[in-house]
Amino acid sequence: MNIQFKKGALELCVLALLNKQDRYGYELVQKISDQIAISEGSVYPLLRRLKKEEYFTTYLQESQEGPSRKYYRLTVKGRDHLIELMEEWNHFSDSVNYILKEGVSDE
Amino acid sequence: MNKDQFLKKLDQSLNRLSDDERKDILADFQEHFDLAKEDDKTEEEIAQSLGAPSQIGKELLATHYLEKAETTSSTGNFLRAVWAVIGLGFFNLVIVLGPFIALVSLIVAGWITGGAFVISPFLFLINVVLYPSSFLYFDLFFTITLTGIGLFIVIGMVYATNIVTKGFMRYLNFNVRVVKGGMK
Repeated sequence: MNIQFKKGALELCVLALLNKQDRYGYELVQKISDQIAISEGSVYPLLRRLKKEEYFTTYLQESQEGPSRKYYRLTVKGRDHLIELMEEWNHFSDSVNYILKEGVSDE
Repeated sequence: MNKDQFLKKLDQSLNRLSDDERKDILADFQEHFDLAKEDDKTEEEIAQSLGAPSQIGKELLATHYLEKAETTSSTGNFLRAVWAVIGLGFFNLVIVLGPFIALVSLIVAGWITGGAFVISPFLFLINVVLYPSSFLYFDLFFTITLTGIGLFIVIGMVYATNIVTKGFMRYLNFNVRVVKGGMK
């Protein structure tokens, strides 16, 4: 997939993954890279930017095994942004699908 | 590249950031390495899938400068933000630098025109002192009129410069959000 597309989609994925539960950075990176080929390191700058825009807050939590983890929690502002982005995305992908159907399907 | 090399390279590319912010960023990657190791990955594999530390650094710097330019708008901050966004990749060189040069030329041209109109009576006076025989009432009043027009242009340019700067900042933000940045 085209890189320009992917970066915008990455923001949507991160917000969507945090919608139902708080997650830590590594978990987010894994969830995304399981599905999409990304440079995993680029998720962290994105997380910092979205935090600065107050779409989520962070807190540290100890875990039984291993070091403490930084968890990300979606804010109300973040959830509103998610809904907005999701609508844009749906509208966009519907349009592309429609054109694909017209263009590729047999008459 | 192992963990220490990765973190060191990243740290070097972030030397413009404050110590606190740098430590915070490095802690994120430290945590990533620790957790990935528990998944039985080697340091080399982890570093490989993270991507180039210099590119990650560039992206963090671009965000940093944009934020700085938004909170304290000075010409220096603005230029650093433009430069950092251009540095993200070749694509940005074209779509950021092109419009930037065009807009800056327009604004500079506007200021020079306004400035020249405003000072035109002085130029007229200098001319009269040097060549008294060339004095014409028409020139005198015409240059005074130009001063009036020039003042309006200058006032307009103050607003225009402001609007263009803000608009361009929004364009830069859009770039960081949508375009490129360590994608495979």
